Amino acid sequence: MRIRTTGVVAVLGLALAASGCGNGSSSSDKPAAQNSATPAAAGGKLVIWADDKRTAALKPFAEEFGKENGVKVEVQAVSKDLQTNFVTASQQGSGPDVVVGAHDWIGNLVQNGAIDPVQLAAEQKSGFNETAIKAVTFNGQLYGVPYATENVALIRNTELAPQAPKTIEELVATGKQLKAQKKASEILCLQSGQNGDAYHIYPLYTSGGGYLFGTSANGDYDPKDLGVGKPESIAAFQKIAKLGEKGEGALKRSITPENSISTFTSKKCAFLVSGPWAIADAKKANISYDISPVPGFAGGKEAQPFVGVQAFYVAAKGKNKALAQEFVSNYVTKPELAVALYKAEPRPPALTAAFDQVKGEDADLAKFAEAGKNGQVLPAIPAMAAIWDPFGKAEAAVIGGADPAKTVTSAGKAIQGQIK
Amino acid sequence: MSAMSTYAEAPVANRNATPKTKNRWFAQVGWRHVVGVVAVLFSLFPIVFVISAAFNPLGTLSSTQLLPTGASVENFRNLFDNTAFGHWFLNSLLLAGVASFASIFLSSLAAYAFSRMRFAGRRVGLLALLLIQMFPQFLAIVAIFLIFTTVTDLWPSIGFNTPWGLFLLYMGGALGANTWLMKGFFDTLPKELDESATMDGASHVQVFFRIMLPLVAPILAVTGLLAFIGSINEFILANVFLTEPNTKTLAVGMYGLVAGERNNNFGMFAAGTLLTAIPTVLVFQLLQRYIVSGLTAGAVKG
Amino acid sequence: MSTSLSGPGSAQQTPGREPVRSGLPRKSRTARNHAPITATGLIVKVILLGLVAGIATWAAFPLIEAKEWLGLGVLAVTTAALLYLYLTRRHIPAKYLVPGTLFLVAFQVIPVLYTASTAFTNFGDGHRGTKDDAIVAIQTSSVKQVPGSTEYALSVATKGDPATGPLVFLLSDPKTKQVYAGDADGLRQLDAGQVTASSLTGRITAAEGYTVLNIGQASVRSKDVTSLIVPTEGGAIRSTGLSRAYEGKAARAYEAGCDCIRDGESGRTWAADEKTGSFVAADGERLTQGWKVNVGLKNFTRVLTDPNISGPFFGTLAWNFAFAIGSTGLTFLLGMAIALALHSPRMRGTNLYRVLLILPYAMPSFAMLLVWRDMFNTDFGLINNLFGLNVDWFGEAWSARIAVLLVQLWLGYPYMFLVATGALQAIPRELTEATSVDGATPWQSFKAVTLPLLLVAISPLLIASFAYNFNNVNAILFTTDGGPFPADNPRNGATDLLITYTYRLAFGAQGAEFGLAATVSIFIFAIVAIVSAISFSRTRKQEEVYA
Repeated sequence: MRIRTTGVVAVLGLALAASGCGNGSSSSDKPAAQNSATPAAAGGKLVIWADDKRTAALKPFAEEFGKENGVKVEVQAVSKDLQTNFVTASQQGSGPDVVVGAHDWIGNLVQNGAIDPVQLAAEQKSGFNETAIKAVTFNGQLYGVPYATENVALIRNTELAPQAPKTIEELVATGKQLKAQKKASEILCLQSGQNGDAYHIYPLYTSGGGYLFGTSANGDYDPKDLGVGKPESIAAFQKIAKLGEKGEGALKRSITPENSISTFTSKKCAFLVSGPWAIADAKKANISYDISPVPGFAGGKEAQPFVGVQAFYVAAKGKNKALAQEFVSNYVTKPELAVALYKAEPRPPALTAAFDQVKGEDADLAKFAEAGKNGQVLPAIPAMAAIWDPFGKAEAAVIGGADPAKTVTSAGKAIQGQIK
Repeated sequence: MSAMSTYAEAPVANRNATPKTKNRWFAQVGWRHVVGVVAVLFSLFPIVFVISAAFNPLGTLSSTQLLPTGASVENFRNLFDNTAFGHWFLNSLLLAGVASFASIFLSSLAAYAFSRMRFAGRRVGLLALLLIQMFPQFLAIVAIFLIFTTVTDLWPSIGFNTPWGLFLLYMGGALGANTWLMKGFFDTLPKELDESATMDGASHVQVFFRIMLPLVAPILAVTGLLAFIGSINEFILANVFLTEPNTKTLAVGMYGLVAGERNNNFGMFAAGTLLTAIPTVLVFQLLQRYIVSGLTAGAVKG
Repeated sequence: MSTSLSGPGSAQQTPGREPVRSGLPRKSRTARNHAPITATGLIVKVILLGLVAGIATWAAFPLIEAKEWLGLGVLAVTTAALLYLYLTRRHIPAKYLVPGTLFLVAFQVIPVLYTASTAFTNFGDGHRGTKDDAIVAIQTSSVKQVPGSTEYALSVATKGDPATGPLVFLLSDPKTKQVYAGDADGLRQLDAGQVTASSLTGRITAAEGYTVLNIGQASVRSKDVTSLIVPTEGGAIRSTGLSRAYEGKAARAYEAGCDCIRDGESGRTWAADEKTGSFVAADGERLTQGWKVNVGLKNFTRVLTDPNISGPFFGTLAWNFAFAIGSTGLTFLLGMAIALALHSPRMRGTNLYRVLLILPYAMPSFAMLLVWRDMFNTDFGLINNLFGLNVDWFGEAWSARIAVLLVQLWLGYPYMFLVATGALQAIPRELTEATSVDGATPWQSFKAVTLPLLLVAISPLLIASFAYNFNNVNAILFTTDGGPFPADNPRNGATDLLITYTYRLAFGAQGAEFGLAATVSIFIFAIVAIVSAISFSRTRKQEEVYA
């Protein structure tokens, strides 16, 4: 009998665990129901997806919007593959109402029917920085409401390098000198990693004469005119190769997205190519720094960084589109929100009014804007998605010493093969 | 470390402390300690690095050395103040605990049938179990979205952003992962055991619960540990399944800490890693006597 | 299914089995049939089946509410089958197999079959939905504001109940201060005296005969608000959000007659091409929004003929096997070697060693993989700094492969050490001592006695470990991400496993190509299936030794 009871207890315990799904869920029905959509509640629900950093910045303001209007707002973070997951989830109808992301997603989101155009009044539109509006316009339609622009610049440690270099050659000379004096261990912190980083190398690529896409008559990027693989791009990569590991040693694959900024803040390199997001760390580490445009090659073209825009999008298959439109077109367009978002994370606001407001208290902002003045808006056409990976890997290979002509030609072929 | 172990052995070696016996001691025991110490060093040095990062007040990767340069609990404090780490921790613990328990139960049932009974389709079933695992599950994400969108609409309490939904999904893999392991172990138990019990009038249920399960405790412990660690580490499905900050698991939440180029949270990440290891070490300590004592008892007896 | 899984009575008799054994199942069935029904057994059965019925009932209500009759049918049949299975005395194997199989079918088999079926389509970015989805997207994204039209301040109102009544747009022109009411029948002007408007925003806050909804109320009826379109002469008034409306016009519309999209302004047409799933103009220009179509075996021929895919395929396959065998074999060898070293009756402190050695296994592997990646950094990594090396670990194919295996070794050997220790302790000392008395060297006795016994116990673990490592995405994704990549092929790197390679095809930065990825998976699946089937047929003999 004793054995039997233990047996029964075991059966019961295991069986309950096995059916734990049903069992547990029925007992947790109430809290779960409260968490999820409650159509019976007073207001609707708005779900916003963003990456981790922006989720944190956005949360208080989204909740504020919810409180003002008697609706429930949830900001959720998707840590990896936000764009892909948004498209897949949207397709099946379990996506959010609003998504926050870089403007170069637009082409892909539109081709998958994942986002709707946003109708802004003329006076709302005129409140934005012109570049930002241009960036979120695709096929003649406005697809997102921008809130911040960003571009890389040269941040230098003024203790180590008091003068802003005018050319890359000058920068390398200073860096080498510092290295010889054991004041720094690296010439330049420009992140590459094993798989490259097209975004950060782009100013040098343009200065070397390369381009990604030609422009068609109306000023839009033309996917049929691919610049990667053209002689200009090979020339540019040849110049980059000279700075690489087999050349000057200024560009290295060991400088990765993870360690680039922290190497600069620990004073191991005097020059950092990065964006406004690096400033907080530099301040925390008490570095005296200054910001200037990324210099180009001596005698080369102008070094143009990419200008990226962070924007809010309305999901085409969201459950609460009207509320999403209300949030995106009437709440995000308020300067107060833009200023608050800036305070949470210092990127130049896309709203002119907000930019002017914070410009006075933050000199860095104007310097970043200055560095991005001649920048190129990141192409938002779907073909752009095909660029990043092959371009970055070609960059890494060239920095590591691979033959530029061969590498870039095949990268161009790989990209061409992807563009339909 | 090496010196310490040597002292521990000292009384044995000192009984006849002539050079000859020392050499013999080394040939018989000493070299074993050398191997042990080298292995421990290999095991520990990345962990020491993580510990030193966790206590490094600067909390960046490049400022971290192998040996700790500071002793600050700031990273731990930030982890709890600025993130939902407590939630993640409990979610992971709950999910991994329940999922590993349920999955070893399901697979031990199946393993029992596969090992002890003969029925049409048995070998095909076994082969199918092995093969189905070979299909990449992340590709099935689209289908999983399809299924769970419907589930979320109908039964929100087992849908997206609930641990129960993810639990159900993990149960889908329960058979594949462990049945083979367990069946192999069941096979090593002598068949006479359950046959004689059956002769004595025990039903198949009684044979399973009273005779088989206690005998396979070691393999239950091994697969339980495997399943526990597997669920703690699972990332791809959990990442798409859990988007609400408070429902995330450790793997998803902590990946978010270091995700993206613009993060410098390495110290917090390291602190979180150390804390994540605690439940696993505890589960391991709990199960280790089963694992160490009787893994092959059946095999050798049989 | 339950018919094929019938009871042990129908056990197939394998030729060559001992006559005594083959007779046993029948005997045992007789015995089982005489097994007494215990009270507790009955109670447990009732409780469990009650639970099943309870869950089924709980699950049924939402299905009825949503009128999902097919789902309800499946639920009813499954529940009935479960109840039958556990109430009957027959189908004993099925009783043990069904619980896990249910989950397996629902959450693995069905997704896998669905995914495999996409191999015959162009499913991927730009071709995800149906043709109707694409048409809706094209029309929606072509809605533009009518030039020079009014921007209205909007209030959503109703004449009936706020939660259910038909909606009306109350519109006010901020410039002329004129107010209108609009619904699907059109726009009519309201008497300004009947309404109160906010002086700040110009929005109507109250109107005679209407209940104005606040944003919270209106947001609940989001779908109604979005679908309410007020026709006007130049186009239609639509809401944008809940407080503004504009007069817009869809420039593009689908025409069923020509099965094409026509642009009303330019007159240009794009005809549907069912082969590629997109609208194509006469000059070859394609609209970006496409749809999913069957492409037959196109993906399969592409895998075989595209040199970028088929070229590296077999190299990757070979490395994949090397990786899985290497990860399993090296961890086993090292784990066993250390277990042997520490396995001595004269050893002190083995418990301490054991606790410390097992730590890598307890650390969360996703985190440690990221840490190891940073430790392999050429200039800043701990490995090079500690040993004074200057190896470009992840930059060269072979060093990257060695590095990846080293990481796997670190992560996995504690487990093997543990199970080997367990296995060693279970080997009776008399066996090894007997051989050494016979004059065998330690190595000979290890080879003759210890190793075979170890392998008997551990080989299922080794098979499981091999299967796991064969598809170990994290080990690659979090360390090298497949790299280093040859300069001429950014899609396939030196440390890519088939699964990470497929992952890149499916989700890679160049845009998702699910159809192609599913095709590659089918190829992988076929190869693995053949290899497994061959080795599996060999295990039949081994199995009969135990059984």
